[in-house]
Amino acid sequence: MPRYFEDLKVGDGCETPGRTITAADVLGFAAISGDPESLDLTTGESGLPPRVPDLLVMAITSGLGFRAPAELPQVLAFMVMDLHPVRPVRVGDTIHCRIRVAAMRPMKHAGVVVEKREMLNQDGDVVQQAEYKIMVARRPRE
Amino acid sequence: MSESVRQYFEDIQVGDEYLSPGRTVTEADIVAFAGLSGDYNVLHTDAEFMKTSIFGERIAHGLLGLSIASGLGTRAIARPFATLAFLGLRWRFKGPIKIGDTIKVRLKVSAKRETSKPDRGIVTLQRHVLNQRGELVQEGDTELMIERRK
Repeated sequence: MPRYFEDLKVGDGCETPGRTITAADVLGFAAISGDPESLDLTTGESGLPPRVPDLLVMAITSGLGFRAPAELPQVLAFMVMDLHPVRPVRVGDTIHCRIRVAAMRPMKHAGVVVEKREMLNQDGDVVQQAEYKIMVARRPRE
Repeated sequence: MSESVRQYFEDIQVGDEYLSPGRTVTEADIVAFAGLSGDYNVLHTDAEFMKTSIFGERIAHGLLGLSIASGLGTRAIARPFATLAFLGLRWRFKGPIKIGDTIKVRLKVSAKRETSKPDRGIVTLQRHVLNQRGELVQEGDTELMIERRK
């Protein structure tokens, strides 16, 4: 059963399972985006593993949201995204996502939900902050 | 990349514009992005369900459009920016990208500002993603930290 706008409230939140980002993910993303700059698998500064493109981290966290323990809202459209990288993510890091409903606004046939998403690495450090504005279906009338 | 071809903060002017080549978004792109991201939402993966939706067919993930736009943007700017860091992004999804649509990106430098550090500056890049009919499907502003000439 999907959740509808009426089933959500401000403050609702969850944490997703984690996912380890591999060099294969970086290559897969480079192929899809066609961005030669995202194909840089050279060793990072001071011998650290290569950096993961910020947009790949964003893509993976969008999918992690679907593995959240809570039932998913019935999303009709993705409206706006704000993304702020906070610290580098490197190949081998395991990231997960903390999601919280920050604001809600009903419309005639749907509702707008603002989610705050924080992406964290295996040390618990925030690596990205994002805000998603999504349109969620209202519960159909009986 | 040799130093001479990169554009430093001083080389980039407000109003500079670029137009990318086009890229046709295929079913394979959407399937691959579903696998990479783990976003298997029916909007992108269930052709039968989507026949009954307002779109009439599967649509590309919004973030797939952004990812492709980022690659097209890199291909549009022949002399790459001397980017030190990607500071943030605000992105608006205005309309669907469907299988077979061909998108291109128009980029424009919309603002420049200096920072307290003399070796860098911040550039705002506005990007418009257009389909083959010239309709705006996505748009957004990206802030980049750019190196200054030594």
